[in-house]
Amino acid sequence: MIDLIKELTESYGPSGREEEVQRIVLKYLEGYIDGHKLDPMGNLLVWKEGRDDKKVLLDAHIDEIGLVVTNIDDKGFLRVEPVGGVSPYTYVGHRVKFPKATGVVYYEGETPDEQKKNLSNLSFDLLFVDIGARDSREAETLVPIGTFGVYDSYFYKNGNYLTSKSMDDRVGCAVLVEVFRNLNDPKHTVIGSFSVQEEIGLVGAFVSAYSFSPQACVAVDVTDSADHPKGFKRHAMALGKGPAIKIKDKMSISHRRVVEMLEQAAQKANVPYQKEVLTFGGTNAAALQRTKEGIPSATLSIPTRYVHSPSETVSLNDVEGAVKLLLSFAKLELEF
Amino acid sequence: MKGVKAMYLKELSELDGVSGDEGRVRKFIEEKIKDKVDSLKVDIMGNLIALKKGTKSNRKFLLAAHMDEVGFMVTNIEDDGTLSFGPVGGIDPRVAVGKHVRIKGELAGVIGYKAIHLQRKDELLASPKFENLRINIGAKSKEEASRKVEIGDYVTFATDFRCENARATGKAFDDRAGCAALMEILEKGQRYEDDLCFAFLVQEETGLRGSAVLFEQLCPDLALVIEGTTAGDDPGLPEHQWATHLGDGPAITFMHRGYVVNKKIYESILQVARKYDIRHQPKRRTAGGTDAARLAKTGGGVPAGVISIPARYIHSPLSMIDLADFNNTVLLLSKILEEGEGFAK
Repeated sequence: MIDLIKELTESYGPSGREEEVQRIVLKYLEGYIDGHKLDPMGNLLVWKEGRDDKKVLLDAHIDEIGLVVTNIDDKGFLRVEPVGGVSPYTYVGHRVKFPKATGVVYYEGETPDEQKKNLSNLSFDLLFVDIGARDSREAETLVPIGTFGVYDSYFYKNGNYLTSKSMDDRVGCAVLVEVFRNLNDPKHTVIGSFSVQEEIGLVGAFVSAYSFSPQACVAVDVTDSADHPKGFKRHAMALGKGPAIKIKDKMSISHRRVVEMLEQAAQKANVPYQKEVLTFGGTNAAALQRTKEGIPSATLSIPTRYVHSPSETVSLNDVEGAVKLLLSFAKLELEF
Repeated sequence: MKGVKAMYLKELSELDGVSGDEGRVRKFIEEKIKDKVDSLKVDIMGNLIALKKGTKSNRKFLLAAHMDEVGFMVTNIEDDGTLSFGPVGGIDPRVAVGKHVRIKGELAGVIGYKAIHLQRKDELLASPKFENLRINIGAKSKEEASRKVEIGDYVTFATDFRCENARATGKAFDDRAGCAALMEILEKGQRYEDDLCFAFLVQEETGLRGSAVLFEQLCPDLALVIEGTTAGDDPGLPEHQWATHLGDGPAITFMHRGYVVNKKIYESILQVARKYDIRHQPKRRTAGGTDAARLAKTGGGVPAGVISIPARYIHSPLSMIDLADFNNTVLLLSKILEEGEGFAK
């Protein structure tokens, strides 16, 4: 599973440009699924048929946050805007990877005072990207305006902790892939939705369940982990205590019955789990539950440190626990 | 408008149609296009939807522009006969001061403010708040005003359309310019391979509301949203922050608030523009949203592209477009349709 997480997190897939990651997912799923399709918005939907005609949909978003090129100056320096919730601070002195170039991100300042001022009020208008181009023409060929970039970061294993960019939500994609690779004779049909454009407004998930009308949905996504120095007050989530069953975040309240089923599944499989109330944020569950006449939906979270940075960190225990929990969930009778 | 075509732009710009009150605009468009389409209806939200069969009919291609404009609504009639009001859609209160307005499409009023002599030095240039502004219709009392105006009446800027040196000024180019472009496509009287749905939408400015009900009615396979968008090429901003440049052709959006434009559609638009050497530009900012974001998120999802006519000073009493940009937008759109099923395949 570690190779899978490494390959998925190191691949390129900002919102709206998810094809490369979808190819990797399909490669790992070959021979383990009964079918797959791309829906009109580009969501990759895979399925394994069950014994009855009920359906459950598991979702993980396949996109990651990033930058997009909005301007190129005469000397070939780029200007960028964020794709999703990106802090400009995470990019200062860091590298951004475009499909055909890698650039250094830095900020403006003509005097030490101005540099200091800009750094304390940093915004994307003050950042520029240096891809080593000699002039605007060279830059325009390599990264035309409208090119999307992601953190130039790599996977690293620190004992049981895994660090990389885009754990949000490739770690969820890895969980789904592992579930399908180990899913034998499921009770109900299991659908996997590798959804696009979550980071800019849950776009894919608003429509991904439309053609299947499943009886329940579980979004698998990352959540805050507050177990580092001065982490968020009021948050209980910590690395290594198992996957977190979400009760509520800013955008949705998990369906009570789905929460009960997830707890039951954890207990049956003997998987430690934690409960989660996130004081901000949201997941695809918020979009899935509002599809058609409404679908009972919840979120299973992987606690993650430093979310939306180039070094998002998870615990392998929690990831493996989530896989076991969902395999156990797929054996339960859906009753509402 | 010597020699420059933009046949319905003047009328559309001068019609009043704030979000929720699009009737005048809808009636005008309906009248002009009814003989040029196969069927026409007004849906429950008030969207005007026209259909034109294709020669192959394998795909349903939606072309959308919104009819509504930003404006105001009367919130109270004060004892002194003046009207308090609030914005409908996004308007900076600073652009409201000292302007002629029209209530219910007929009654004249002005939005005044304290004369400079009566302002303290620190008040000068400070942004007024809507609660401190009033519309004056010349009524001397609440009774007199109440005979002419009701709470909930819509108010628009009273701006005449003008055109000089192929640059047009007027109100509501966002998005009457888009409506005018779609009407010009219908004027051509041509059939294309795809079935075309023309949607003239309501309530975009208040949160992309009209477009929320299209999927259930039409199930389109793909869509193009035609918009009037910020030019931003003004001297107050450094050049690298300009969104679009007036005169550089239609602006093609790769991403805006809440939606990354479908890659195939974005690239196909660029391909068509290059193939026919039509002047165009990428939209260089990602701020602002369009009905494309709503279409992407409703029903089974409609992949949509966005083509915009750059306009300076939008969401104010007066915006300015370059008619060459308008004509290039119509040209680009018609070439896209001529591509038939090859477009965004």
